[in-house]
Amino acid sequence: MHFDNGEIVICPPAFSCRTGRPARSRGDVSFGQGCGGTTTGSARNRGPNRSDDTAIAASASDRVTGTLVVRPRSEIKDAVRRVRVWDLPTRLFHWLLLGAVLAALGTELIAPPGWLEWHVAAGYAVAALLLFRGVWAFFGSDYSRVASFLYRPRQTLGYLRDLAKLRPAQYVGHNPAGAAMIFALVAVLAALVGTGLVALGGQEKQGPVAAIADFALGSGARSLHSYLAYALMAMVAAHIAGVIVDGRLHKSALVRAMITGWKRVPARLPLAAGRPSNMRAAAVTLAALSAPAVIALVLLSRLPPLGVPAMTPDPTWASECGSCHVLFHPSLLPRASWAALMDGLHDHFGEDAGLAPATAAEIGRFLQTYAAEAWDTKAAHRLSEVSAADPLRITAAPFWVRRHRRIDPAIFTSPAVKTKSNCIACHRDAASGRFDNQAIAIPDSPTGANP
Amino acid sequence: MKAVLALALSAITVAATAMAASNPGRDAILAAFAAEAKKADAGFAGFSPQRGQAFFATNHTGGKADTPSCTTCHTKDPTREGQTRAGKQIAPMAVSMTPDRFTDPEKVAKWFSRNCNGVLGRDCTAVEKGDFITYLSSM
Repeated sequence: MHFDNGEIVICPPAFSCRTGRPARSRGDVSFGQGCGGTTTGSARNRGPNRSDDTAIAASASDRVTGTLVVRPRSEIKDAVRRVRVWDLPTRLFHWLLLGAVLAALGTELIAPPGWLEWHVAAGYAVAALLLFRGVWAFFGSDYSRVASFLYRPRQTLGYLRDLAKLRPAQYVGHNPAGAAMIFALVAVLAALVGTGLVALGGQEKQGPVAAIADFALGSGARSLHSYLAYALMAMVAAHIAGVIVDGRLHKSALVRAMITGWKRVPARLPLAAGRPSNMRAAAVTLAALSAPAVIALVLLSRLPPLGVPAMTPDPTWASECGSCHVLFHPSLLPRASWAALMDGLHDHFGEDAGLAPATAAEIGRFLQTYAAEAWDTKAAHRLSEVSAADPLRITAAPFWVRRHRRIDPAIFTSPAVKTKSNCIACHRDAASGRFDNQAIAIPDSPTGANP
Repeated sequence: MKAVLALALSAITVAATAMAASNPGRDAILAAFAAEAKKADAGFAGFSPQRGQAFFATNHTGGKADTPSCTTCHTKDPTREGQTRAGKQIAPMAVSMTPDRFTDPEKVAKWFSRNCNGVLGRDCTAVEKGDFITYLSSM
């Protein structure tokens, strides 16, 4: 019972206020202990809905005459009650999901590429939270269950029409537009997880689908992943707008409700049946679903990635090429470039790097075998597009230039790096040709500027 | 007494230098260059570390623009490490620091071929090569 609005408790003459019983069902006339005429706090009953189930109304004439009247709640326009709409797991899910989504966004948009690890972790967190929410949709308390916010398309359209007229009906749990948004958010988040995993596998040759997804598929998934991310941001904005609009129209404090679990709703609104959540069943189902999923993910992650052949380094290649510069992985240039490079060793980037014909032939064969065409890695694919003006120079490839444009030029000439061609100074896995984002460690810039 | 001491000291110095420089492989390489030099010029009177030092430190012309001198990569002090233009460390050229310098004929031929072309824009003469090795073996 709410006294904070200045309302008074009114009981009909025919009943004793003290013997009033708490209402158990909707529309019931109720007499909380507040009917004693005192203003001692709320009469939160212990009914299954844990709602503040006492309707209050008073008119000026009532006050004047002192007549006490109780009306059915449905007839009382301004009466409100507090309803426990969101159980703790649902609230935790909501805020953890927000955190995971923000983490995923931040690690992609702001953090350096080496943070891919954390982006992937945020994605797995989203997946785990979605799995939990899927289970909780069947075992949670009333308003968390999917059955409580399934609306027919006509209902949703009708609701949206009313919303456009700023007269939307009020709901205790999710309204039809909110429900639609939830389904859309879950679908987009699931698609983000899926496309993220395919992109990770196909492009980066990491994670559970690296053995299945090729680079082309990974690139497609990567594009879709970013479109979905923009869609998600727009949806989150719409979701927040919905919360604000609902707060204006219905004086609902939805953010507070998602924190405390309690929501003030008009007392006339029907409440759900008050089914309690089944934590044990939820836990068992979650374990039954997640255990095989985790095992499958771990096992799949261990499979050798697609399009990454096992390469035995040719010792002559290693000693001859490696005596003047770091060993450039054969996958970093296409066959045509390697062939031209081996033909022009006497003018090798401004040096004479001539070799005995037999030595040159051996190295040439090795390079042709493991040139970019033999690999499905990102570096092989991207660097296959060589510079038209300088087709032998890896650091002139458009992709190379694009990827390094934000690096402070002073870093390339710093004592730790010395030259652009010293891949391994920053890419710790350069020798493998993988160039994982996580393996990037750029030495501190001598000018103090961070890339 | 003083003279005897000086003599002994210089003998030790000479012996030490000879020991550091002496290596069958290197001696053979030097002998081959000496024979070649003699063939080209009957008046050839042996290799000179002074000429080798000058050759090493000079800025030559005719080679590739980025490498005018041996010192471009090997630094002015042959007892120290050098660095290729691609940033790779080069072991000191001085035999005293890198004892297996100039002991593998193939390696010697490869690097003279490459670097003479790069620095001078031509092959080096047998005298230049012999002076170079003699200079770097003498320190």
